[in-house]
Amino acid sequence: MINVFTRELAAFFKGITGFVFMGIFLLITGIFFTTDNLIPQSPDYVRVLGGISFVFLVVVPILTMRLFSEERHQKTDQLLLTSPLSITGIVLGKYLAAVAVFLTTLIFTLLYPLQLSLVGTISVSEIGGGYVGILLLGCAFIAIGLFVSSLTESQVAAAVVTFGLLLSMWILDLLQQGLPADRISGFVFALLIVLAAGVFLYTTIRNLLVAAAAIALCCGIITVLFILRPAGFDGLIVRVLKWFSLLSRYRDFTRGLLKLSSVVYYLSFSAAFVFLTVRSLDSRRWK
Amino acid sequence: MRLRNRGKSVDTGRNFRLPSQAAGTECRKEDHPLIEVQRLTKRYGKHTAIENLSFTVGKGEIVGFLGPNGAGKTTTMNIITGYISASEGSAVVAGYDILEHPREVKRAIGYLPEAPPLYPDMTVEEYLSFAARIKGVERGNRRGKLDSVVDRVRINDVRGRLIKNLSKGYRQRVGLAQALIADPEVLILDEPTIGLDPKQIVEIRNLMRDLGRERTVILSSHILPEVTAVCRRVLIINQGRIVAEDTIDNLSAGLSGPRRLNVRVAGGEHDVLAVCRALPAVKTVKCTGSLEAGTVELYIEAAEDRDIRKILFRSFAERDLPILMMRSADANLEDVFLRLTTEERREPNHD
Repeated sequence: MINVFTRELAAFFKGITGFVFMGIFLLITGIFFTTDNLIPQSPDYVRVLGGISFVFLVVVPILTMRLFSEERHQKTDQLLLTSPLSITGIVLGKYLAAVAVFLTTLIFTLLYPLQLSLVGTISVSEIGGGYVGILLLGCAFIAIGLFVSSLTESQVAAAVVTFGLLLSMWILDLLQQGLPADRISGFVFALLIVLAAGVFLYTTIRNLLVAAAAIALCCGIITVLFILRPAGFDGLIVRVLKWFSLLSRYRDFTRGLLKLSSVVYYLSFSAAFVFLTVRSLDSRRWK
Repeated sequence: MRLRNRGKSVDTGRNFRLPSQAAGTECRKEDHPLIEVQRLTKRYGKHTAIENLSFTVGKGEIVGFLGPNGAGKTTTMNIITGYISASEGSAVVAGYDILEHPREVKRAIGYLPEAPPLYPDMTVEEYLSFAARIKGVERGNRRGKLDSVVDRVRINDVRGRLIKNLSKGYRQRVGLAQALIADPEVLILDEPTIGLDPKQIVEIRNLMRDLGRERTVILSSHILPEVTAVCRRVLIINQGRIVAEDTIDNLSAGLSGPRRLNVRVAGGEHDVLAVCRALPAVKTVKCTGSLEAGTVELYIEAAEDRDIRKILFRSFAERDLPILMMRSADANLEDVFLRLTTEERREPNHD
């Protein structure tokens, strides 16, 4: 793992991706800092941090697009996959390398609040919380990008799809008002989720019978619940989406709130996508 | 032992016979085969890339996979090295099953895929040291291993150069160096000479022959002379099946007797044919035309397994019809290969 990590980290700065990522990230955050803090002479750095989460949408795809796509395109995945390394080790090495580049960039931005603290008072807890949030959010976004990159040979496709996914996460919050909130739609939504989980189960264990049985069982349970307690399905879609929304949790951090549940959420979100990446690489061998 | 998959070999014609079991007893009776592939099948959706492939490779053997493009050579190699998984069947390398103990198998194998897996942004030295590290070469040994491998494949002069700036020949050698770096017991090389110039091909072949002395080598090729030049045993694969499996010597042995001849004789067609027809040793004779003025081209088949060249010479000489040229019309290895791989798939003959 450590070998893949160091090679990957070096590769970021041998090509242009590392510099492009850092450059764009620092440029845009610099613009935010200038317009929000320097020109109006305001110490409210948290606003800038809020803007940074938007910058992610643009730059994370740059960071993650090459991780596996390039490897596959150059056929160097053959070297990695026929070496005694475990797939998990390879995936983690690459993931952590991308996170390390991201972390380094983030450390550069610490200069902004440092400057502010010289001339005014800043809220350390809010900014600290904001940085923890950004770090976790970044890790989650990079995990998504990593997964997408493992699906395709084309870096452009990987970047565009990652961008699309991150953008839809971003607008997820805005969508919530427009979604149906009645019981029936909640019930249908629950069934669809079970179906999706069942398909995933099937691709993992490749046993149609077991997957079908699991789907049938869960659908049965949901139907029973729906009959017994229909109130539980009111506004289910919105509640689920809210819970899943990466960004609404992030806003807690920028208010200086460090919720354990949110930290766990981000970390498990990242872990889930890293795991999916491992599965995707592993299952490609079977196709 | 040798003909483990006799059931799947096709009837290859009378002048090319798969050898009897007796031929296979010369060595490695006691030692366990290093690579044992059993009933390997790989399907891509409806398409079957390889079907029921079985073979063994003993320790220290150098075996060639021969077959036209798309025959399933690369698929087989990718399965043995653990890059892809088989749909059915098993592959055991150095005593470990690839599915159950992938790490042990991968440690035992050095693999050079068809396209060498090189990182263009790394220098040769960085790349090889990365390869050494991920293959678990111990820290203390790395320097020495790297030096000896670089020496061996003769890339010393490009050590510090970026791989993307290297020529195809050098890249191929860097790929080979990568396969050798951890000193694996088994070396699997997929089309190692493809895209090289003739001088480089000779160099790589010599290198492979050297390597074959100390370790087990499987190499694939669609070029017959390459396999004959390097390997002692050949597996001919076509459409995902093994159509023949034998040593080079045996493969050629079945072909060497000149039972069929192409002959050019100076004289009239009528006279010449009359001479041949008078000979009891000649089964068939055909005139295939005339390529030089005043000569005839003949195709002659001997009645039994006997050499009729001397008889022909004397008979034609008696009638003052000089033989200008005489050569065997029997299939050489190339023809066998072509016939085996272009013939329609026959049903296995269970003999």
